[in-house]
Amino acid sequence: MLPPSEFPILDNKAILKDALEKMSIYKLGIACIIDENKKFIGLITDGDVRRILLTIQKPLSALFMEDVLDHISKNPISISPEMSIYDATKLIGEKWVWDLPILSRKKELLGLFHLHRALDFCLDTY
Amino acid sequence: MPATSKKISIGYDKVKPIMIGKGLPLVFIGGPCAIESYDHSMYMAENIQKICVELNIDWVFKSCYDKDCRSSPDSYHGIGLQEGMKILSEIRNNFGVPVVSDFSDVNDGNSVGEVCDLVQIPAYLCRQTSILKTAAKTGRPVHLKKGQFMSPWNMKNSVKKLEINGCEQILLTERGTFYGYNMLVNDLTSLPIMSKTGYPVCYDATHSIQLPTSMGSISGGQREFIPGLVRSAVAIGINALFMEVHDNPVKALSDSNTVLDLKYLKQILNQAIQMHNTYLDIITKYGEDNVHKK
Repeated sequence: MLPPSEFPILDNKAILKDALEKMSIYKLGIACIIDENKKFIGLITDGDVRRILLTIQKPLSALFMEDVLDHISKNPISISPEMSIYDATKLIGEKWVWDLPILSRKKELLGLFHLHRALDFCLDTY
Repeated sequence: MPATSKKISIGYDKVKPIMIGKGLPLVFIGGPCAIESYDHSMYMAENIQKICVELNIDWVFKSCYDKDCRSSPDSYHGIGLQEGMKILSEIRNNFGVPVVSDFSDVNDGNSVGEVCDLVQIPAYLCRQTSILKTAAKTGRPVHLKKGQFMSPWNMKNSVKKLEINGCEQILLTERGTFYGYNMLVNDLTSLPIMSKTGYPVCYDATHSIQLPTSMGSISGGQREFIPGLVRSAVAIGINALFMEVHDNPVKALSDSNTVLDLKYLKQILNQAIQMHNTYLDIITKYGEDNVHKK
């Protein structure tokens, strides 16, 4: 699991440019959005950005200023901290995603389950 | 942020507050560009008031005490802060109407905020942090005009500057966009874009037809487009309409080529009110316009 300090997290007032910058800094294609109470409210991926570029034909400067909230997935697949690495890795394969946010019962963002980390673990273990 | 979800309230003390925002009747903001004299201001306020009462539209008297962005040093610069505020104050008292003036000098901010129900940021200064901060600190609602050089989405930055200084009552106005030199174009998509800030939006019909400094040392204008542009702006969705009005445009001391002749105000406001009511009916009946939702 990646702890919150090791993947992009944005507040709900962030603009799309903030998300792109943070993804680049962390070299991850995902950014999670939290509210004032640190509750998880959604995520945006570089796949979302690709789709935005193809469907919303605004000038780049206008897209940069868009509220990231307007483009997030509000109910993405997430996992609980109790889920095993095996099940989480299996879920990533089934759902064809790279990352799974790890949420507490109160919807607090505890971390991110990331495909590369899962692969590292599997290679070390087997 | 959904388009225009916030409402702003303009008016204090004896002036009954008027509301601008989503689903509310259209509000008119207007008057002579510059305060020319006590008598002229009273005459204009009285005549605009008559029309607005007849048409049952709330309005805000607009006139400026200082025209700091004139092209020529020889042009009329304004009546001055002290005299200007005195006249605006009398207009509030005599007509019970809220008043607005812009200010270009941070040192004037407090005095303007003490008198005016709404304080205005000139379009050319719409991103000046010190002006925005001063306007926010007056505690009055702020009329923020989009600079002719600004994109509507970048106005979010100016809005943030007001918000972080405590202002949550903002009216955003479109007033034309530079297209090369001495020319403005009207991109009405700026109105729904700026409304995404959540704040109400306004269309400034008389400055939008300006040809900036096209006459050498003064600005020209294409007044013939005012009526059509007003109808178009109302149809796309606005909460307030701004027009500078003068009883004798040729003799106006400021913006003589763009101010609307008072004799046309009633017919244009009438059209705008009817268009706005139709707009509200359509939106209520058939829903919002967004056809680009996921």
